[in-house]
Amino acid sequence: MDEWKPNSTIKPHKKRSWYLAWKYKLMNQRALRKLCQTGAVLFLLVTVIVNIKLILDTRRAAYAEEEESAQDYDDEMLNVEVPRHPVSNKKVLDVEVYSSRSKVYVAVDGTTVLEDEAREQGRGIHVIVLNQATGHVMAKRVFDTYSPHEDEAMVLFLNMVARGRILIFTIKDEGSFHLKDTAKNVLKSLGSQVAPFLSWRDMWTFVGKKGGEVYGEKHAKSPALSTWGDPVLLKTEVHLTSVEDAECHWPDTELNRRRKRFCSKVEGYGSVCSCKDPTPIEFNPDPLKDNKVFNVPVAVIAGNRPNYLYRMLRSLLSAQGVNPQMITVFIDGYYEEPMDVVELFGLSGIQHTPISIKNARVSQHYKASLTATFNLFPDAKFAVVLEEDLDISVDFFSFLSQSIHLLEEDESLYCISAWNDQGYEHTAEDPSLLYRVETMPGLGWVLRKSLYKDELEPKWPTPEKLWDWDMWMRMPEQRKGRECIIPDISRSYHFGIVGLNMNGYFHEAYFKKHKFNTVPNVQLKNVESLRKDAYETEIHRLLGEAEVLDHSKNPCEDSFVPDTEGKVYVMFIRMEQEADFTTWTQLAKCLHIWDLDVRGNHKGLWRLFRKKNHFLVVGVPASPYSSKKPSSVTPIYMEPPAKEEGAVAVPAVAAAEQT
Amino acid sequence: QNGAVFSKVRGSQSGQDSTRWHVVRKFLSLISSHNIAVYLIDPLILELVDKDIEQIRSSPDAPSPECKYFCAPRDFTTFALLDKTWKHEVGLFRTAEKMGFQWLKIINKDPRLDGMDDLSGIEIPLHYIFKLASHAIHLVVFYERSGNYLWHGPLRLKQHMDRKFVPFRKLHFGRYPGAYEKPELLLVSIDDLKVQIPKNPSSFLEEMSHSRFLECRYREARAFFQLYPDDASLDAVEFRRKAKSLLHLAVLTLNTLGVKFWLSSGTCLGWYRQCNVIPHSKDVDLGVFIRDYKADIIPAFQKAGLPLKHKFGKVEDSLELSFQGEDDVKLDIFFFYEEDDHMWNGGTQAKSGKKFKYLFPKFTLCWTEFVELKVHVPCETLQYVEANYGPDWKVPVKTWDWKSSPSNVQYNGVWPVDEWDDVIQIY
Repeated sequence: MDEWKPNSTIKPHKKRSWYLAWKYKLMNQRALRKLCQTGAVLFLLVTVIVNIKLILDTRRAAYAEEEESAQDYDDEMLNVEVPRHPVSNKKVLDVEVYSSRSKVYVAVDGTTVLEDEAREQGRGIHVIVLNQATGHVMAKRVFDTYSPHEDEAMVLFLNMVARGRILIFTIKDEGSFHLKDTAKNVLKSLGSQVAPFLSWRDMWTFVGKKGGEVYGEKHAKSPALSTWGDPVLLKTEVHLTSVEDAECHWPDTELNRRRKRFCSKVEGYGSVCSCKDPTPIEFNPDPLKDNKVFNVPVAVIAGNRPNYLYRMLRSLLSAQGVNPQMITVFIDGYYEEPMDVVELFGLSGIQHTPISIKNARVSQHYKASLTATFNLFPDAKFAVVLEEDLDISVDFFSFLSQSIHLLEEDESLYCISAWNDQGYEHTAEDPSLLYRVETMPGLGWVLRKSLYKDELEPKWPTPEKLWDWDMWMRMPEQRKGRECIIPDISRSYHFGIVGLNMNGYFHEAYFKKHKFNTVPNVQLKNVESLRKDAYETEIHRLLGEAEVLDHSKNPCEDSFVPDTEGKVYVMFIRMEQEADFTTWTQLAKCLHIWDLDVRGNHKGLWRLFRKKNHFLVVGVPASPYSSKKPSSVTPIYMEPPAKEEGAVAVPAVAAAEQT
Repeated sequence: QNGAVFSKVRGSQSGQDSTRWHVVRKFLSLISSHNIAVYLIDPLILELVDKDIEQIRSSPDAPSPECKYFCAPRDFTTFALLDKTWKHEVGLFRTAEKMGFQWLKIINKDPRLDGMDDLSGIEIPLHYIFKLASHAIHLVVFYERSGNYLWHGPLRLKQHMDRKFVPFRKLHFGRYPGAYEKPELLLVSIDDLKVQIPKNPSSFLEEMSHSRFLECRYREARAFFQLYPDDASLDAVEFRRKAKSLLHLAVLTLNTLGVKFWLSSGTCLGWYRQCNVIPHSKDVDLGVFIRDYKADIIPAFQKAGLPLKHKFGKVEDSLELSFQGEDDVKLDIFFFYEEDDHMWNGGTQAKSGKKFKYLFPKFTLCWTEFVELKVHVPCETLQYVEANYGPDWKVPVKTWDWKSSPSNVQYNGVWPVDEWDDVIQIY
């Protein structure tokens, strides 16, 4: 039923045979015979299609603007007839690979498994991995090796692919500019003769078995810098092996059955599919004593970044005190591979039909995921919200277990977050320390059900408002002066480089050097002092103890803070009113911390570490803590650079690019 | 082994079925070997157990002199499983097969996500049947839902399923979905088998007799919102919040009193048409059968912070209570009077003393979920709504006159002036 047998009796498969014969002119006798046998039925089919076309044409005449959708409809009809999987029980696969400036495609046994002719997209080397026994597509990637570092990603990926898999390569537009020798050597080791000599705007296709034979290679040299090589079309045959040869022989356990299902379907996950000594998919971390968050549902918000999701779930399931039964992965869209990853780990996953576009789509996905979470766990008072591009600290649940009662009891709290926006390698120090901040960091946080159900859900931004959900949550109408609790050292790490609001430079500048706790079982210090009133007492105590720094020095210089350890220092900056962050932003910039908007403040006070000393910054006179300023001290004022205006993010990212 | 000896005795008695006892015992050992907790909900056995409940409670470990409960020849024995207490291990079914059980799993869409059209990927197990020899165990899966109650799904066979696996029509659970309170359980030993049963079997049986559950019509509600986009204004959000909290308070108050009620009028229409509170309806409407009227209702609401706003009519005729909620949202309770072939409730115009009568076809009550509450609605909702709002109930109307707009309103005379002080009370 689900496996198509090309040589079995004709009737149920006639449409597919026709399609194959038509598109690929198989020279095979049997196929020709089949073609004749199905001729009559084909005639009928054609008649049907012509009729449908007629109807569509009529509609098109009536509604000229609907032309495109009618076209879509045609395509869909064709798609239905195409065998989706170039399937087993056949010894030989026909493979066709096309490389050109503006278009690449790969067809396996008549099925187009890759087709990219979009403009200004898909530049570089496209790689497809086929299962050597079934011919199924197991992975599809494109590495823009015109740009730097993409070749490294390609090498990483190729190394992850299991021996014996069929690899198909094709270049679109340009794939050599940043293709370094390491990568070329890897391609050479796969049997490519051309790869070492690939150069500017060459066209290239290659089909080979990892660690085995080469099935074909074609290359067209670019005659001149300004032009591209001629398109190349490689047609070749690949001999399939038996299923037994293509699979590992792991002991038959429930876990290995999941592993087998996963590994026969997708590629590029490395040792989890290694035949010898595969990496575990069950982790059994130590349970937590008196775990207050064992029954708190965990919603993992995911898109189509299955490799990220894989990494994220591994760290989540390795965290002490995790309860896999409470985890639900919400996938934005009908993507198969993220679901495969979810099933590999034996978790439950829910797919979400994408509504709306871009940020609004993410926002609607969040809403659906949160609503579903509280529907599925009606007893829950909280939900933990995670994203697919986060590493989760080993003591993530321990951190929450120790602090969650505050969220339950202190109504002035908005959330608990695992992320400290200002917690960089050089500004965070104490894993047992917590702060109260007026900004909501997200990136691994706890949401109170009552906040969601009574306040946020009923007025969640509708799809036509193209709002970021997190920006919306940070707005005063929603936050209503409430604060979040965060750790000094983050319990999550944002590793995603590809994303809606994310790119390599941005990540390098703002996320890469974030500090991430790796110490298990950290006992949090003085948790009760995080309550609203107690926190004020604590801050006053700190300020009383703090040594006032020398305000005549440049606060950007390292020497601004003495070479001590474990002391508390305070500096005062100018802050005319509550929303005046002029000096703070300049300070943040020179301290290389988050400066794109204001984060981590509490009543005009920022807390961080410099040189292992606690470093307090008070905005004068806006902050109520201004009274702690000795009258002799003049608050530091830092002028914004003259050029900077308009969009905040752009110059900052550009600055990061220069570093 | 105690069980073996026991079964020999059983087998020798006429009209008894030791097969059943054996199958139940095997099933109980299967599930306990996988650390799964089930409880007995078989109505026929619980009826028998209920008769002896005092004795069973007082000596939970006493050996049974005879097989009283699990030996009556039946096709099924029914157990319940709380979904959240087990992990869906495949191992259970493998062990079951090794023990000789054939099993059948009935899955369907997860109703907890049904209100969300755009989510998919989740079908959940609703029923399991484990068959051994001539006896089958029907395992009903209960899910916790918003509103702090348990829900089980209907049993519907899919195309490819073996319709003769067991005589499905005889099953006690599965004809309709059902809603239940979370039961308190009691571990007892009956017929030398250790099983959990509802602590109070008779109240469980009573609950079972009217447990039928109606899912909200989410698909139709979505279609409605396509035609008439939802009001997302702050006023609408605010009214919905108030109406919801008023309804929560009313449900708590009436449940504490033990007064049965259902969603009526605009609130019922909102549930049926759009699965939500209608933002421009200005109040919350409940129906109560006059036979369930209690004098404590008014003080109970007052104690809950909802002062009486007006009282029209009297217990014998056209009683109607109205309580003042937060701001200008009010709670109306209409009392329903039952006649041979219809039901009705009354209305009173305060300034003229005119009486009105609203007629409804007879109806029964079903459970549903509404704004995170388990509440009653008329099972025959369409007839109920149509009686009240006419055939065009699908079209939102902003101006509504309770004296003339309803299609089931009848003029019903005038209150005698000397009764006005009693039947027209306004605060």
